Amino acid sequence: MKRTTDGLIAQLANDLQPVRPLRWRAGMALALAAFAMAALAVVAVRGLSEGVAHGHVSAFFVVANGLLLLLGLAGASAVIAMASPNVGAQHQGPKWALAMVMVLPVAAAFALLGSGSADHSIGGLHALYCIALSLATSALVAAALVVWLRRGAPVSAPAAGLYTGIAAGALGSVAYGLSCPVDTIAHLGIAHVVPVALAGAVGRIALPAFLRW
Amino acid sequence: MTADEATLARLMGAAQQGDRQAYAVLLEQAGRWLRRYFARRVAPQNLDDLVQEVLLSLHRKRATYDPARPFLPWLAAIARYRWVDQLRGEYRAATQELQDNDAVDEGSEDAVLARISIDRLFARLPPAQARAIELVKIEGRSICEASQRCGQSEALVKVNIFRGIRKMAALIEKAQ
Repeated sequence: MKRTTDGLIAQLANDLQPVRPLRWRAGMALALAAFAMAALAVVAVRGLSEGVAHGHVSAFFVVANGLLLLLGLAGASAVIAMASPNVGAQHQGPKWALAMVMVLPVAAAFALLGSGSADHSIGGLHALYCIALSLATSALVAAALVVWLRRGAPVSAPAAGLYTGIAAGALGSVAYGLSCPVDTIAHLGIAHVVPVALAGAVGRIALPAFLRW
Repeated sequence: MTADEATLARLMGAAQQGDRQAYAVLLEQAGRWLRRYFARRVAPQNLDDLVQEVLLSLHRKRATYDPARPFLPWLAAIARYRWVDQLRGEYRAATQELQDNDAVDEGSEDAVLARISIDRLFARLPPAQARAIELVKIEGRSICEASQRCGQSEALVKVNIFRGIRKMAALIEKAQ
């Protein structure tokens, strides 16, 4: 026999238990805690780079990591907002932040074309090492954001997956960057931005299946 | 009579704190609102199921409502999500003509309600995609019948349905 709407309402009202509303602040606190743990893990395992430890970092380091940090925060903020659906929400922040970060590989390309010593500037095999470790570091932030999304009700799983990947990739790259000894623009603009693109692609492809409800 | 936005938001806030009486009233009002919301966009025989699906989703995801924000845009997002979900399903059985008396009285909607309406989502589709979805997924016609009525090939009808639903799924929060 088909259930009536009135019967369903009576049943749901009878089953009601108090819930604590998902708050954006709590979600951001979770994401920041995951980021802090990732950074601490990097420092514990690899230690701070000499430049960071002594406060002698290049301007490129500050610009690249500053932009990546902003992208990570904008992405995490959008992901957390997506857990609480709302017609009218546009989630435009990460797009602008991503556009700003994309200046870095362009600058890296110019640096590589101008220097004539690409291998030295980009960091050689160390660049691959950076990409792999940045991705590994991003897993903790990604896990925190996925946990939040699964508690919530994202209505666009592909976008939520993409932004989760981008946010996690950017914050993972910043956390790993604390230990990276290479701070040329060519290295930072490629080896520290590629993980963002890879994590975004993985998030877009792999996460939607876990986010549908 | 249907409760206004402020009343619904207050009832939902109370429901999150465990007030069963407020919750029963809220669900009853939400059910009425959803029936009007889905009018003309859901085949009549599917309307009850869809309304119940949304009410169940509201119940399961009630913690995602932020009491500091309006209630109806939140409910509309869940309603659109479930509606697109239902469109993805198969509705091959022949259906009756849609009932005229279920039509939305658009004159009574204020600007905010119009912005979150399901028609705003549908309006973002190219006409060929909207027509294909209307004929097959809402009116319940076969691909062959839809093809004859809208002048698209059968393959194109299928492609337009697939692309249209995918596009609406991406616009659930954005179309307003």
